[in-house]
Amino acid sequence: MTTVPLCVNFECDFVLQLVPVESDFTMDQVAEAAAHHSLNRRVKPQPGRTLRVRLQDGESPFDRESTVEQAGFQVMETIEVYYE
Amino acid sequence: MALLNRSDWYDIARDTNWTPKYVTEEELFPKEMSDCFDVPREKWETYDEPYKTSYREYVKVQREKDAGAYSVKAALGRMKFLDSADPGWKSILKLHYGGIALQEYAAGMAEATMARFGRAPGMRNMATFGLLDETRHGQIQLYFPHEYVSKDRQFDWAHKAMHSNDWAAIATRHAFADIMSGRDATSVALMLTFAFETAFTNMQFLGLAADAAEVGDVTFSNLISSIQTDEARHAQIGTPALKILIENGHKEGAQKLVDIAFWRNWRLFSVVTGPSMDYYTPLAKREKSFKEFMIEWIVGQFERNILDIGLDVPWYWDTFLEDLNTTHHGMHLGVWYWRPTVWWDPAAGASPDERDWLEEKYPGWNDTYGKCWDVIIDNIKNGREDLTLPETLPIVCNMNHLPIVGVPGKKWDVRDHYLDYKGRRYHFGSKVDRWVFEQDPDRYAGHQGLIDRFLAGKIQPANLEGALKYMGLQPEDCGKDAHDYAWVWNYNKPDKVAV
Ligand SMILES: [Fe+2]
Ligand SMILES: [Fe+2]
Repeated sequence: MTTVPLCVNFECDFVLQLVPVESDFTMDQVAEAAAHHSLNRRVKPQPGRTLRVRLQDGESPFDRESTVEQAGFQVMETIEVYYE
Repeated sequence: MALLNRSDWYDIARDTNWTPKYVTEEELFPKEMSDCFDVPREKWETYDEPYKTSYREYVKVQREKDAGAYSVKAALGRMKFLDSADPGWKSILKLHYGGIALQEYAAGMAEATMARFGRAPGMRNMATFGLLDETRHGQIQLYFPHEYVSKDRQFDWAHKAMHSNDWAAIATRHAFADIMSGRDATSVALMLTFAFETAFTNMQFLGLAADAAEVGDVTFSNLISSIQTDEARHAQIGTPALKILIENGHKEGAQKLVDIAFWRNWRLFSVVTGPSMDYYTPLAKREKSFKEFMIEWIVGQFERNILDIGLDVPWYWDTFLEDLNTTHHGMHLGVWYWRPTVWWDPAAGASPDERDWLEEKYPGWNDTYGKCWDVIIDNIKNGREDLTLPETLPIVCNMNHLPIVGVPGKKWDVRDHYLDYKGRRYHFGSKVDRWVFEQDPDRYAGHQGLIDRFLAGKIQPANLEGALKYMGLQPEDCGKDAHDYAWVWNYNKPDKVAV
């Protein structure tokens, strides 16, 4: 297990942020780690909706269960976290 | 004894070209230091500086300027303006001095490059005065804030900032190294004097002087107007140089240097001058919005200068005009949110009345930037200041070294304009920053931004506390909300509900 720092673009926020995740994190855990730095800070949460993860410009999100390693994220990969 | 008129002797006296005997012309004026375009010497001899002065005249005028600025300071010093000044205004002073005073010395070195290596005698002559100007600007802008240091140690950053690894200092050094210390004399003439001084110093030194006069800070208003009179003179070094380059078939190369310098300065101003004018200056004292000032000074005047001289507007002009509506709002939000990382106390500028003003000047502000401020305001009201402070770092651009920001809220538009180069991924805040990198990748590729340094383990402990230590910020230096959140409580007035 290694730490993978990511460049996170969180929906409706104004800035890209550095978010370190672990290589065995699922996409749900990645979204949660990202949300910690945006939701309730500068972005209002949307209860009942699910956060998904995709690459910047990616057409579809990664499976919620797939891990950082399976997704093949490089160090400082730019990802978008958004409500489905 | 009667003196000759200046025009009778000026041309001969300043013509310091000679034919070297002991070294070659190339050794005397190496291309890397003098002129990357390699325009022949005889072409440079047509250089005609529009503003002519003699040393005697220069000293006389400068002495009067200094006497004026220092005597205003001495006379008003006892009035203790600063004690009663709005905290937002104090922050402008701290930001201004820390960001600019030492860069004036660096500008002096750039003038010295032109004074020694400039190919045209007229350029060398004017730049000698420019060097003296910049020395004055450095001295006076360290002297004025110095008296406040005993009252407020953030003023110590007038001298300290540029020696630190604060992110704002890294950004400023990187930009100015790119247009001043890291360029040959001809490029300096284009990038510093033409692109920076004829366009942007007006903004900081005349726009802000207008606000200063409104606020009642006569000392500062006088000081920076005095500086601007020097800038207006030595800024004219670039225009005749540009003319020669265009005449000798180097329009394209000259255009590129101007485009690079203009963009780099624009981004810096979006974090320094934008928040100062639209958020820190007390609402009742705002002369114009930042965008209005930019349109007047940059679009109105600089655009005309560019076209008159035979260049085109930069290729990204539409992007730039669009940026005037957005970038500095994001920069401001970033500086305020990461306020412990700066040496001034950012004023939020987001009270109900201020929001009305922002919405009027920038239609759509409430639906975008306002959405982020809504959450911040709720948190402060609910006693959750902790949620208004950062727990990680923003990604900074590998060109301008400022946070990568975009439009939040209903028009969410934030992007990483990245580029993979020789196995490393570079992150950029805009396509123009990436374009600058692509013009000469190896010039920029080795530099490590704050995030790169963090990831390389240079910042320990690897958290925000370690980052503050790395930036040289002691707890008393760290920025906090300028008004201690007093503006939030204006939202309790029933007729002003946050939308
Ligand atoms: Fe200056
Ligand atoms: Fe200058």
